[in-house]
Amino acid sequence: MQVVRLSLKEANKIPIEADDINPDNFAGKTEEEIKAIQVWYGNSQYPLGEFFNVKIEGSDSVENTKIVFEGDVSRVKRIGQNMSAGEIEINGNVDMHCGFNMRGGKIVINGDADSWLGCEMAGGEIILNGNASYYVGSGYRGESCGMRGGKITINGNARDYLGEHMCGGEILVKGNVGLLPAISNNGGKIVIEGNATMPASEMKNGTVIIKGETSDLLPSYKEEGTEEVEGVTYRKFVGDVNVGGKGVLLIK
Amino acid sequence: MSEILIKNANVCDPAQGINCETMDICIKDGKIVESVSANAKVIDAEGRLTMAGGFDGHTHSAGKINVGRFINPNDARKNLVPGLSGQVARTEKTRAQVGYNTPNTYAIGYRYAKLGYTTICEAAIPLLAARHTHEEFKEIPILDKMGLSLFGSNWQVMEYIRDKEPEKLAAYVAWGLRASRGYGVKIVNPGGGEAWGWGKNVSGLYDPVPNFDVTPAEILMGLAEVNERLQLPHSVHVHCNNLGKPGNYATTIETMKLFEKVKPSRDRQALHVTHVQFNAYAGTSWRDFETGAPMVADYVNGADHMTFDLGQVIFGPAVTMTADGPVEYANARMLHEKWSNQDIELEDASGVVPLFYSPKSFVNAVQWAIGLELALLVKDPWKIMFTTDSPNGGSFVNYPEAFTYLMSAKRREEVISGFSKMALDRMVLPGIDRELDFYELAVMTRSTQSKMYSRPEKGNLKAGSDADIAIYDILPGQIDPSIEYAKVKKAFSGAAYTLKDGEIVVKNGEIEATPKGKIYWVNAKVPSAIDSAMQKDIDVKFKKYYTVSKANYMVEDMYLQKPVEIATEGVF
Repeated sequence: MQVVRLSLKEANKIPIEADDINPDNFAGKTEEEIKAIQVWYGNSQYPLGEFFNVKIEGSDSVENTKIVFEGDVSRVKRIGQNMSAGEIEINGNVDMHCGFNMRGGKIVINGDADSWLGCEMAGGEIILNGNASYYVGSGYRGESCGMRGGKITINGNARDYLGEHMCGGEILVKGNVGLLPAISNNGGKIVIEGNATMPASEMKNGTVIIKGETSDLLPSYKEEGTEEVEGVTYRKFVGDVNVGGKGVLLIK
Repeated sequence: MSEILIKNANVCDPAQGINCETMDICIKDGKIVESVSANAKVIDAEGRLTMAGGFDGHTHSAGKINVGRFINPNDARKNLVPGLSGQVARTEKTRAQVGYNTPNTYAIGYRYAKLGYTTICEAAIPLLAARHTHEEFKEIPILDKMGLSLFGSNWQVMEYIRDKEPEKLAAYVAWGLRASRGYGVKIVNPGGGEAWGWGKNVSGLYDPVPNFDVTPAEILMGLAEVNERLQLPHSVHVHCNNLGKPGNYATTIETMKLFEKVKPSRDRQALHVTHVQFNAYAGTSWRDFETGAPMVADYVNGADHMTFDLGQVIFGPAVTMTADGPVEYANARMLHEKWSNQDIELEDASGVVPLFYSPKSFVNAVQWAIGLELALLVKDPWKIMFTTDSPNGGSFVNYPEAFTYLMSAKRREEVISGFSKMALDRMVLPGIDRELDFYELAVMTRSTQSKMYSRPEKGNLKAGSDADIAIYDILPGQIDPSIEYAKVKKAFSGAAYTLKDGEIVVKNGEIEATPKGKIYWVNAKVPSAIDSAMQKDIDVKFKKYYTVSKANYMVEDMYLQKPVEIATEGVF
């Protein structure tokens, strides 16, 4: 097992783009090598050691590498981008694009996450023990496919456009979500245990289950009886007929 | 000023009939000259292929491309042609670059220069949006630029044609070129843009345009007559009716025939038909769709009044952008794609739709073949301008790839081997074994353009011409492009040297300097009495219909960087 502990030397205002902070890039590296990894800070690149204290225990493969952020990193973006294995633990809030294009491994966030959490994620798992902002598990601007695989669990609330353009994988939200969850999605499964507003607009495919209250259900859905999931009976809607969709929306 | 001597250049300059001969080129003060002093800086070309700077005569690089950027923000990160696409951080010499089909303005300049291109012609400037086009031109470094102004669905144009007022029409076209600082007359789906305002289209040359009582044929002939009356440097530049529809090759040939009676007022063609690939379709529907290239090529081989460009398809993502509004609506519906639609007030329509050309789709495979069939079946390369109608058929950064299709039958076979039987049955390309040589390639990428745009100082290496020169890492005598096509592609993807006005802008495929390019525009002189009579008519248009006033419509001098005014004398 290799554990890499990172803590910010001082809180940064200008965001740090940490797209190279992932187990794939850290596994087997020494403290000096990790400190030398370049990160973007504003419009220039600097070695990671300029910003972070780095402590290492052991040396191991990617699967057995764990990165721990000690404290708030709410101005550090793209943590865990492209990671394929291993684990990242963040003990504080995190900035945008955490777990972007993640393909495997696990990210645990003990704080809140800014927008685009798990954007274009294809595998692995993200557990957020706080609230999420906009566009969880969505697509890059302009793409027709967002999250394709893996699982995101949000133990708090999420804001608007959850799972936008999602094509696969699973999102579970224990709290409430904002406007238009599952907009334009084309596959995958979204379970919302709290409340949601205007869900599944322009959904082509996939399943959305809302256990709380649903506000402003769109008129472009056909009701097709009921369906039972894990012992609970839901009203079943199919659509969005505006786009010839075959998505399933289950609500109370 | 500076003198340069390029020694041991293997020159391919069709304008002078020079076919890969080793010689020296002398440059003084940005022009090619007969000789230079002993103090000249020496570039040793070491026997490598040397041509005039490339000239892309039909590309969408400023103006509408910006809508493509909005609609496709994900294009910014596409990197399908490493070195010529994707995100590149700024350097000391270059600004940050993004994109593939719709790169940022700086990237457009750098990437064309890397390909050895030094001049581009923006294919469509709506008069109303011309200020924006010029603002983008200003930010495209290195290249010399010009643009074609849209007149094909313009109310004032159609009214003058209906009312048989050719003199006022000439005055309007001259004013429109001045207003937009355009170089020539572009006609897109004549009448179709106006019909699209009513949710309709015109289906052929003799279909009346709603509310105007004129036909596309009348619009074409009216504008062609005026084009010659004003002695414009370029002929009318026509995007035919029925673009993108199976069976449209007949309309295309009909349009070409219509122009047989037009007498050019200068030593150039009477008609340029653009991106003919999209207009050379046979069949009656997408089910029995097949190539119409042999019929079109057959006609072009017997005609000497016209030129055309290819609109070659490149497999992969592309972004279609055209003033042909109804076509874009059809594309978006058929492909379930994103769609942008714009109404250019009294002037035209416009649309943008991203799409993907796949070799697995038999329609796309046949489209790919049609462009090459046109290039190979038309015998005289002087009638052909190589284009992909970038980024409609694919991004210009794929030109080196496309050159290998033209130069190597083996390379074509490689691509064709991935096609379905259905696709193969609908094309004639597999039976064509012609391979272009460097000389013919130079004609299609430089010399034709020089002639058809009446820019004798461009696209050739004669004494007195602009010292826009590309040296490629190819030794013509020692390479067989039909087998070593990978080498050809590599060499054309990053010029060993590109010189712009005698300054080294690219060296070993990397940007060395980023001077500002010139803007060419045409100022056609019209008698003042006719001009004032016409002004009264457009004043009414501005007062009654336009959302802007005339004062806020004109492209003023401040918009132009290094302008070059081409004055012509109208014949009245």
